[in-house]
Amino acid sequence: MDSMNILSIFIQTLVGGIGIGSLYALVALGYSMIYRSMGLVNFAHGSIYMIGTYFGIIWYRGMVMGLQVPYPIAFVIGVLLNAILGLILERIFRPLANLDLMLMLLGTIGLGYVLDNLAVIIWGAEGFAVNSPLPNEPIVIGGVALLPQMLLLITGSALLMVGLNVFLAKAKIGKAMRAAAQDRETASAMGIPVNTTNALVFAIGAGLAAAAGILAAPIVYVNPAMSAAVGLKGFAAFILGGAGSIPGAIVGGLVFGILEAISAGFISSAYTKGIAFVVMILVLMVKPAGIVGEVTVDKV
Amino acid sequence: MIVVENLNTYYGHIHAVKGISFEVRQGEITALIGANGAGKSTTLKTICGLLHPREGSIALGGAPIHKLSADKVVGLGVGYVPEGRRVFPVLTVDENLDMGAYHRSDQAQVTKDKARMYETFPALKGREKQLAGSLSGGEQQMLAIARALMAKPKVLLMDEPSLGLAPLLVKRVFEIIAELNKQGMTILLSEQNARGALKIAHHGIVMETGKIRFADSAAALRANSVVQHAYLGAG
Repeated sequence: MDSMNILSIFIQTLVGGIGIGSLYALVALGYSMIYRSMGLVNFAHGSIYMIGTYFGIIWYRGMVMGLQVPYPIAFVIGVLLNAILGLILERIFRPLANLDLMLMLLGTIGLGYVLDNLAVIIWGAEGFAVNSPLPNEPIVIGGVALLPQMLLLITGSALLMVGLNVFLAKAKIGKAMRAAAQDRETASAMGIPVNTTNALVFAIGAGLAAAAGILAAPIVYVNPAMSAAVGLKGFAAFILGGAGSIPGAIVGGLVFGILEAISAGFISSAYTKGIAFVVMILVLMVKPAGIVGEVTVDKV
Repeated sequence: MIVVENLNTYYGHIHAVKGISFEVRQGEITALIGANGAGKSTTLKTICGLLHPREGSIALGGAPIHKLSADKVVGLGVGYVPEGRRVFPVLTVDENLDMGAYHRSDQAQVTKDKARMYETFPALKGREKQLAGSLSGGEQQMLAIARALMAKPKVLLMDEPSLGLAPLLVKRVFEIIAELNKQGMTILLSEQNARGALKIAHHGIVMETGKIRFADSAAALRANSVVQHAYLGAG
């Protein structure tokens, strides 16, 4: 194996890590936004991601009344349906926000189980592989072979993250969402309908999770158990980057994905999870607030 | 402008406001004075809709507002400057002002009003893009007042605006309040600094443990020996 070859394998592994990392980042963003706005750690978010994936892919695979829907349209339908699910879940979770941590934990975990079991009842526990709408032949650039679907996952995720940041920075309701996350009571006294902004946070979190799942579906295997696997890693990315931080969720997701890919590619795939979590624990021992030290928000 | 009748508000299990009635007259400064825990903040929070009374009523220009949520009350013309300033720390100065104008849809006029705020409060000028959390206490107080004014209120509720500020800034804040009133703003001012508040107010209400002890013209309260002794630090 010459050095050129090792380099191209490394780059290939890195791109794969960025792809899977983008998936974790989009899931971590949902945890982060909900935590910021409602003080709620939503352990059902992995299940919301899984349901969102099905909400899009069932149309693409013709599982709804035999209708075969093109991938981009299935993507939009899945994201919208999951955003609506997010709105409904916010109504259910509203009484839990700012309650005792144990109640929150039980409530969200319980709801996650309900969603997981509903998925098994409706779509079966078996799961399936999904064909990419793009060609399956890798694109070779300078000796580096990249799957078109992986490039779609990376660019799609990047666009969504940029879009989210622009929305939060520029849109009136986006600014209001940030204000409400910083000081709920004062926001409400300024005329911001805080229940509406919280519902929107939930809808966006669920929509991003669906987008991630539908973009990654042709690369990963789709089954109800994916809620636990990706839910846990998205949660780890949320903690690793800095709980409640938006850039933190993105950085945390990418770091986690890259670590996983490199340890699988160069050490052993048997240790993938272990190595990534060990690094997470090490980072938190050094920097308990996570990689991105978020500006402290005083919750008065 | 605001008529409060037999107001009873609980803060958790604590009966913080016990059947108070008073009026805030148009064009006047009404000062709500009393010690920490007397129920001043609870009264203000109940008027602006952050708390809801268990009994009693609040009317704004004749219409009842005590069942409305805070985000509706501000749209009817009640501006609020919270105790401890409570600017949004990780929003810029400019974004904080935008949030004050949240209920308004006249975007062009909002932009003009923001420009006017920077003229009225020179401490904020040139800091439009700075995070509000990085401002000094005095600057944050100016921002909190400017943010409340951005809502174009008919009446301004101010909760302890002088609290925690250096003496020179305390004087400046009272000057600003008097100036706003001269321009026609109706103000309900809650203050532990009774001396400063009664100097600029038309009317004063002295609260003790959730009840009204005295209510009179500011001049009469300044002359009242009990008030002098307990609140104005006279020997």
